[in-house]
Amino acid sequence: MNQQADTLTLEGLSVELAETAQALVKDVAIHLRAGEIFALVGESGSGKSITSLAAMRLLPDALRVGSGRALMGDTDLFALPEARMQTVRGRRMAMIFQNPMSALNPVQTVFRQVAETLCLHTALRGAALRDRVASLLEEVGIPDPRQRMGFYPHQLSGGQQQRIMIAMALACEPEVLIADEPTTALDVTIQKQVLELIRELARSRRLAVLLITHDMGVVRQTADRVGVMYRGRIIEEASVASFFDAPKEAYSQRLIDALPGQDAFLPPVQAPPLLEVRDLKVHFPVRGGLLRRVQDVTRAVDGVSLTLARGETFALVGESGSGKSTLGRAILGLEATSGGEIHFYGTRIDGLDRGARQAFRRRIQVIFQNPYSSMNPRMAIGAIIAEGMLSLGVEASENRREARVAGLLERVRLPAECARRYPHELSGGQLQRVAIARALAVDPELIICDEPTSALDVSIRADVLTLLAELQREDGVAMLFITHDLSIVPGLAHRVGVMRSGLLLETGSAERVFTAPEHPYTRELLAAVPRVKR
Amino acid sequence: MKPVILWSDALIFLLVAALVLFFWRLRRDPQARERWRQVFASRLGMAAFTVIVAYVGIALLDSLHFRRALPPPEGVTTDEVFYDNQVSSVLDTLTAGMGERFERTYSAPFALRSFEKQTLKDDAGNTVRDFPPLRHAGANLDDPADKWGDVARRSAVALAWGLALAALLILPQWWLLRRSALPWESSWWVQGVLACLAVWVVSISRHYHVLGTDLGGTDVLYQSLKGIRTGVLIGALSTLVMLPIAVTLGVSAGYFKGWVDDVVQYLYTTLSSIPGILLIAAAVLLFQVYIDLNPDAFPTGLEKADAKFIALCFILGVTSWSTLCRLIRAETLKISQLGYVQAAHAFGVSHGRILARHILPNTMHIILITFVLDFSALVLAEAVLSYIGVGVDPSMGSWGNMINGARSELSREPAIWWTLSGAFLFMFLLVLSANLFADLVRDAFDPRTRLGPEAA
Amino acid sequence: MFAYIVRRLLYAIPILIGVNLLTFVLFFVVNSPDDMAVSQLGAKYVTPEAIENWKAKNGYDKPLFYNQAAEGLGAVTETIFFAKSVRLFAFDFGRSESGRDISTDVRRRMGPSLAVALPTFIVGIGVNICVALMVVMFHATRLDRAAVIVFVALMSISYLFYIIGGQYLVAKTWRLVPISGFHVDGQVWKFLLLPVLVGVVAGIGAGARWYRTLFLEEANQDYVRTARAKGCSELAVLFRHILPNALIPILTGVVVLVPMLFMGSLLIESFFGIPGLGSYMLDAINSQDFAIVRSMVFIGSILYIVGLILTDISYTWADPRVRLS
Repeated sequence: MNQQADTLTLEGLSVELAETAQALVKDVAIHLRAGEIFALVGESGSGKSITSLAAMRLLPDALRVGSGRALMGDTDLFALPEARMQTVRGRRMAMIFQNPMSALNPVQTVFRQVAETLCLHTALRGAALRDRVASLLEEVGIPDPRQRMGFYPHQLSGGQQQRIMIAMALACEPEVLIADEPTTALDVTIQKQVLELIRELARSRRLAVLLITHDMGVVRQTADRVGVMYRGRIIEEASVASFFDAPKEAYSQRLIDALPGQDAFLPPVQAPPLLEVRDLKVHFPVRGGLLRRVQDVTRAVDGVSLTLARGETFALVGESGSGKSTLGRAILGLEATSGGEIHFYGTRIDGLDRGARQAFRRRIQVIFQNPYSSMNPRMAIGAIIAEGMLSLGVEASENRREARVAGLLERVRLPAECARRYPHELSGGQLQRVAIARALAVDPELIICDEPTSALDVSIRADVLTLLAELQREDGVAMLFITHDLSIVPGLAHRVGVMRSGLLLETGSAERVFTAPEHPYTRELLAAVPRVKR
Repeated sequence: MKPVILWSDALIFLLVAALVLFFWRLRRDPQARERWRQVFASRLGMAAFTVIVAYVGIALLDSLHFRRALPPPEGVTTDEVFYDNQVSSVLDTLTAGMGERFERTYSAPFALRSFEKQTLKDDAGNTVRDFPPLRHAGANLDDPADKWGDVARRSAVALAWGLALAALLILPQWWLLRRSALPWESSWWVQGVLACLAVWVVSISRHYHVLGTDLGGTDVLYQSLKGIRTGVLIGALSTLVMLPIAVTLGVSAGYFKGWVDDVVQYLYTTLSSIPGILLIAAAVLLFQVYIDLNPDAFPTGLEKADAKFIALCFILGVTSWSTLCRLIRAETLKISQLGYVQAAHAFGVSHGRILARHILPNTMHIILITFVLDFSALVLAEAVLSYIGVGVDPSMGSWGNMINGARSELSREPAIWWTLSGAFLFMFLLVLSANLFADLVRDAFDPRTRLGPEAA
Repeated sequence: MFAYIVRRLLYAIPILIGVNLLTFVLFFVVNSPDDMAVSQLGAKYVTPEAIENWKAKNGYDKPLFYNQAAEGLGAVTETIFFAKSVRLFAFDFGRSESGRDISTDVRRRMGPSLAVALPTFIVGIGVNICVALMVVMFHATRLDRAAVIVFVALMSISYLFYIIGGQYLVAKTWRLVPISGFHVDGQVWKFLLLPVLVGVVAGIGAGARWYRTLFLEEANQDYVRTARAKGCSELAVLFRHILPNALIPILTGVVVLVPMLFMGSLLIESFFGIPGLGSYMLDAINSQDFAIVRSMVFIGSILYIVGLILTDISYTWADPRVRLS
């Protein structure tokens, strides 16, 4: 086996709450080797981020290392005084974080932030410092680095920000790089580039990388070895190849299976059209000048046409800022349209006033992305589900409403006593089931699903998607499924539309778009999707 | 006895009832309950709250006004009952006439003689200038030299009674709350100390002026106690006036946006651009003119003072809504973008219902935090306004009036420090408790200040 | 940027009109020009002719807000409100009811006000930031918790007591400086020392606590963790990362006050006998001089609006993310 010495070794690491000594991470052992990417994978709350912060000794005040050692060579990092540890951070171990926008100091230029690491640990100053920063930026793929050095973080795109983070981390040529969900906040195409960059740097610089992620696709494509974390423990560790072929633990198997297959497609639906969108435009005014006149418009949706048949699921795919959510909101009547028409069963529904719109509220419903913010924290679940029935007059008597709420909870497989609970007592997955029940409560014919699963863990995501598909089969409700995640589209949607910059670039049956994409951007998107099964 | 209900009395009882009801309803909301538990789980919070309740209790006692029935004049037999022109409160009765033992002028705490020399006749009939003995203080003493011994004896007795009262107060609570996880002991300690102090003060001040007397010879301790009602009322009533204005305007601006928002923003920018003190002063002076022009509307001095007081609260409320309004507008703008409001729109829920069910309850924490914070700010403002001469009526006891009357007396030789100290102590304790409590409330309710570990 | 400032200044006009309208309404709700004449002339000399003469002389012989007798625009312009307001917009404040020229008074009193307010303001911010930084360095220790309670206690003391206590201790007991007064000569600092000291000390509680909250809010941001991961020491994190970011909310809270410094402090000036605008206002309130009150309200509003604009401009300077358009 590999006789090469570990670059960083975590032994018997446990992390506990400082107040109650309740352990959040238990007896974790990780061996990081030069040039190798070790992926620590787990769902939210599994303790993977805490593990990485503990290795850097950057735990928040409320947590502390209970026991264990972090060895770099012969030195135990946990035994070092804080002043010595500061010479290790950034110099021998570096870290990049999930959200580059907030992880960069907003009021410092890129140059100052990258140079700070160098100033802390090297004697480089003046022109040599500038040269070094410029070459670092070039290495991580920032175009025109000399000019971009003077930029502030907000002037860069998300992908570029994460590259700056990487440049900052690598400035002093550390031996260990800890990457905590480095691509979760990025679009898929950018994610692919950043992961490739990390992989390349690990090879070229012989970096030992600890990659924290929840995404099995990312593991498969990037890592060499993988550890699965579950409730504070590493339950399985293996090389990536053998892990995906034959995982030992049932939980690992579930994580792998949770990623939907990419080859089974739904047949097209033959049914009369339900929703027709013709050349829809949603423009937001940009005001300026002395009198705040409308000087320009942001074209969020710029001439989109699509039809949706009864009982059909149409997946609207696009990266952030493509206008897909705005389109959904326009159909719901939550956003004023600037042009085009929306027809529902042949009746024009755009530009209706509040009263006239009321008749269609019942028939078009919505499920939002963030289950926590889409439930009023001060209302019981029962009241949340019943709200639509009450305002749209679906069930007049209170008893009937209660009975219906109970029935709906059963359909989304939640215990009936949930009706008396409050949102904060439920998990994200449970809340999203409540959101489904709330939408179903008024017997809609169309549900706009705006990224309903992107805030959920993978295993829960699969359950919610299965539930949605099942309900569709039973009720024949049509769905406009807005998502950035191409991987969930097969097995869910009958047809797909790809959006970018307010334009619908390509539509077609899911099978056609996935197997024979026409638009180059669609091909790019498809190529960027991390896949488990190759 | 004939009860007298002043406007401010009615308002304060109404307000306390409304607050109790509000908290009672809040109990049903599990999130709010959890946060209140967090506030009261701190010993400091418990102690501060107990002090505030004690102040409010005294203010309420001082708001139960009545006129004493006078014994019929000698030799007249009639069924008609005559009432005292002087309006007293329950507090006056409880303090056993502390406010009725006037001296001639200043006297130091526990002094037996006046602060100023006077021309006296001695036993031999010669005219001498000396400090005259006080009328009430130490009247029970045979030998003035025994003063401190007497004080010590009375204190011991008072302490015993105080402990008995404390036991009476605390034991039932202990029985009721013995299973509670909250640190009630802190509250009981404060209650015990306050009970002992109360008994001691009432019993000692029968024979001495514990905090001395002021220029007019009134007991300073009594004045400080009377200041409690003014302080508590000004804090509470002004906020009561301010809340509905701020909430209505803030919520409508944030929810309806467009021209409503423009109008509300214009209003609060205009209002906050006027130097607050000038606006308040102008309004108060104008009300004074109104009173002068319509003397018939306020037959008694007390009613006039009360009307002025309510007007002051009203003015303070009307001029101070802009900050809260701005906060609520911003919060409403934020909440309007959240999923649950959007979902409510998608369900065709009416504007009124969205405001009542979704927006208002979720701005409650801001309202609550502002209420406690503003309370202490207003107590402090009262003193400043009284100093400027646009505060409460001089006939009404208030800490501001006490400070105003004694501000230059520190420069006398020897300095007259007790009036200022009395006002300082009573005011400081109330404002400190309110501020500490406000701090805890904010820590518990403001999502931004909850600095916990982020779940990984 | 230029367009932005011009727009903000234009926006100030309706606000100033509103301010004037409010002061007018407040005043004339209970007072009529006749009442004013009576109180100015003194009850002895009141005859209908004298009242009319006084009103004509002082410009109160027109209707208040709406002149039905006048034609067209004159219905609005030939009124007391319009006549008195237009002159304010030209910074002509007229004469106080005791006959002195308000503009001259204001100009003369601005200096002493600034002499106290400006040092108080600058030293105060410096002291508060230093105290807050020191406390933040000991965050989550007993010292921090104790400091917060001390801040709250300091906040709970009325401003009046700071002044009275300061005068008693520093001026009376220790005899370091005069109790009050103001002479413009080489030793003017003697008269300024105590008011500035009192002003600074009185502000520590609220100020330091507020800054501490701002610092802690920033300390929880992600970029602070990044800085630590780079190997920054705690001090470097505090000064290089937290402080510049916390300056942004500090600026918004503080810059709006800068123009208001001209107005001086009512309490400090009256206690220490400083002939500034603060004591001017106080005198005006006590003598119920409407002309002065109205002028000071107008000046105050203008300064407030200038403060708002300065705040926005300082934002662009402190926060690269903000661009004015």
